Amino acid sequence: MRVLTIRANFWPTPSITALLVGLSVFVSSCGSGDDKLPVLGQKETVTRIVDGKSVTDSVAHQIPDFAFVDQYADTVTAKTLAGKIYVADFFFTSCPTICPKMKVQLKRVFEKYKGNPEVMLLSHSIDPRHDTVPVLKEFASNLGITGQQWLFVTGDRDKIYDIGQNSYMVTAQEDSSVPGGVVHSGAFILVDKDRHIRGIYDGTTEAGVDKLMKDMDRLLAEYKA
Amino acid sequence: MRQLLYGLAGTFILLTGLVSCQSDEEIKRQKYITEGILIYQNQCANCHQVKGQGLAALYPPIAGSDYLRHKDSVICLIRYGMQGPVVVNGKTYNRVMPAQPQLSDLEVAELTTYIYNEWGTETTLTSAKTVGPLLEACRPKK
Repeated sequence: MRVLTIRANFWPTPSITALLVGLSVFVSSCGSGDDKLPVLGQKETVTRIVDGKSVTDSVAHQIPDFAFVDQYADTVTAKTLAGKIYVADFFFTSCPTICPKMKVQLKRVFEKYKGNPEVMLLSHSIDPRHDTVPVLKEFASNLGITGQQWLFVTGDRDKIYDIGQNSYMVTAQEDSSVPGGVVHSGAFILVDKDRHIRGIYDGTTEAGVDKLMKDMDRLLAEYKA
Repeated sequence: MRQLLYGLAGTFILLTGLVSCQSDEEIKRQKYITEGILIYQNQCANCHQVKGQGLAALYPPIAGSDYLRHKDSVICLIRYGMQGPVVVNGKTYNRVMPAQPQLSDLEVAELTTYIYNEWGTETTLTSAKTVGPLLEACRPKK
């Protein structure tokens, strides 16, 4: 109650005082009132028949089920990630541009959450013709990654592009005019245990990934409460 | 007395000449390094990292790399890239290094100067005139 010790004439007029108080309440409610991360993406509508009447509900955007193959030649589906939050990204092993940067940053995330059973990382290759299972295996081990927590997946190219663009909301497409022949975003996408997108981060910068790790802590805390 | 004055003046002029000569050379070296840093950050740092430390077993380091001994080869691979296994400090790396055909002789020289002044033991610049014939000689045959 520090405010009470300030001289009364500190406050110019009652209306400005009210404004200031209102503003500070507004700011604080934004900052700490609700610690939950937002759910991103367009809501989708679902129409059902309830008691003979048609009812339209909106549901949050969700990552649909998928089936890809990881560096150990095992099939990865949404079930593999059940009960976990995960970070998804799109890359290719021969990429000369932003991928190495992204891998350096994602490795920081890997080191921080290593051994945490609630966290996984899922890197999709957008050059599956070249990035076969043995190529991904060699890449992962050269990066110093072993175990099941960080999976590098390949699969049907169109399905990977489709899930990237339509579900994770990132760009991924072939373009022969850029180095490496594929343009793609440097985004990291944070997905919660219900497969909702909770944040999108710049995976090429340290600041972007610091923010991601902060938000991962917040998201994990949601499940503790 | 007059002779002594002339002598002093002469020495002074000579010294001034030498000093300004050296600093012209030094200014040029600094320019090369400044440009070299920019080229390094845009074309090389993604894989070899900002401090030249490389990335795990994927991309070899440049800082402290014994491969810097092969300077002619370094100059050539900057522009023409390289493929196949390469041994750096006793470790084998095997990823494709993309060619950078858009780099001019001058840009290759600036980059080489930066690399060898920063991570080699050199304190002088590698000029565009030096790298020109080397790059011509190692141009891949079509």
